[in-house]
Amino acid sequence: MIAEMIDPTKRPRIESAATPASAGRPRSLDGLRIGLLGNTKRNADLILDAVGAQLARRADAVTLVPRTKTQFAMPLPVDLIEELIRECDVVVIGVGDCGSCSASAVADGIALERVGIPTAVVCTDAFVDPSAAMAGLKGAPDFPFLLTPHPIANLAVDEILERGAQLADGVLHRLIDEPALVAATA
Amino acid sequence: MSGGNAVALDPEVAAGIAEHIYEQGWTDGLPALPATAESVERMLAATARDPEEIAAQHPQLERSVTVREIAVNAVMAGCLPEHFPVVLAAWDALSADRAARGGGWQSTSGPGPLVIVNGPIRDRIGVNSAGGALGPGFRANATIPRAIGLTVRNSFGIRPRELEQATIGTVGRWQMCIGENEEASPWESLSVEAGLDPGRSAVSAMLVRTFEVVDNRSFTSHEEVLADLVDTVQRAGALIGRHSPTGIILNPEHARLFAEAGMGKQDVREWIVARAGRTEAQLQAVGKGLSHLPGGPFAPDHFHPTIADARLATLPIIVAGSSNAAMSMVFRVLGLWSGQSFPVP
Repeated sequence: MIAEMIDPTKRPRIESAATPASAGRPRSLDGLRIGLLGNTKRNADLILDAVGAQLARRADAVTLVPRTKTQFAMPLPVDLIEELIRECDVVVIGVGDCGSCSASAVADGIALERVGIPTAVVCTDAFVDPSAAMAGLKGAPDFPFLLTPHPIANLAVDEILERGAQLADGVLHRLIDEPALVAATA
Repeated sequence: MSGGNAVALDPEVAAGIAEHIYEQGWTDGLPALPATAESVERMLAATARDPEEIAAQHPQLERSVTVREIAVNAVMAGCLPEHFPVVLAAWDALSADRAARGGGWQSTSGPGPLVIVNGPIRDRIGVNSAGGALGPGFRANATIPRAIGLTVRNSFGIRPRELEQATIGTVGRWQMCIGENEEASPWESLSVEAGLDPGRSAVSAMLVRTFEVVDNRSFTSHEEVLADLVDTVQRAGALIGRHSPTGIILNPEHARLFAEAGMGKQDVREWIVARAGRTEAQLQAVGKGLSHLPGGPFAPDHFHPTIADARLATLPIIVAGSSNAAMSMVFRVLGLWSGQSFPVP
């Protein structure tokens, strides 16, 4: 008798995948509250601050709302999601500069998009693979994220400001221009 | 472990099955066994737990793994059914480990689970706690952690260079399982220290990045060996952030030396924690100054202890190996382990 070999891989149906991972975009950032969601990784908050400062120069009367996710590899806690919904119109997320926190930053972006908050996720270019893998896993394989050169942990102050300036246009476009993504068909 | 019918073995079929498993991407680089309904049932028969019970979860990936799915991977790893309760207890331990739950499997550190087995089950299923406990040659020690690795790969879907981003990786990542050599230890065992009754079989687990040997056979006093351990513990290389969570596997000879000097395990822990560290200037000299952290900036002679405090969770000490040479191992833990041991039914 020939026994059937069991496939050990799990192909989970991720329920949230049914919801499109793209919130409606505002026409501009004028007057909006911009969340800067740091992940405690070294220099991440400073880069987000620098991006925020650049966005504030490109739009009128924005409010910057810095927030921190204390466990960089865990999903966003519900109370933090609720706080972001309450206090922010758009959120910049980052910086994913490690194996778990890059994927987690993408997951957080998708989670916030699904509750209606436009996001811009920033990862370093060493972590394209896990970021893209997470997007696929969450049912949004084309979910866009912005890249900044790896590493960031050892940047000096002027280099951090430069990163902010380099990222700002991409972040701005992501927050206001991005066309809606098609939900995963799987 | 097969049914007992006398059948002709066909090496070509075996090789073909192994190749099929490779082609499917179901294994870790070594040949794995095929899981069948029958072999998985034999594995499940070794536990009273419900096959559909969730036994491992990965919050970030929204994935949970059942007892049955772990059994599939245990078969593939080469476990015997009697190993399975230890595999499940190891998952209980890893489920309590903050690093393992929170992205450790994907980490650039590439850590592996160090599975420590206490109690009578060691002898019952052949977990080596004496000579070569960390080395090859013992089925239980080799297959139990491999079952964890295959579950991470196949059930969580965390594969190298996809969701897993190990920079260089860790030698023997899925091969770290030892028994504590309770018979040769002068002290209470790890699981007793963690609050379980003596004589109870138990598993503890933590994510480990590397092992560093402390070979000291030339000592003339216990304090020399303690100082040698401190020298390795306080090495700056492993430091990320303020502290460097660490553990020690003491060989029986070093453990006895400390016990004969009147020291308990906690005394050893406190001796090392009080002395292991670097000054701010020493850390700055290697680019690891801590002045950016809360409490900073620090004076150049400010002493930063390597280990935050002297607890089981911050410095686990295990006795293992043979008494044939006085060498111990310092290992580096990713994050803080739970400090808990989990009973094996």
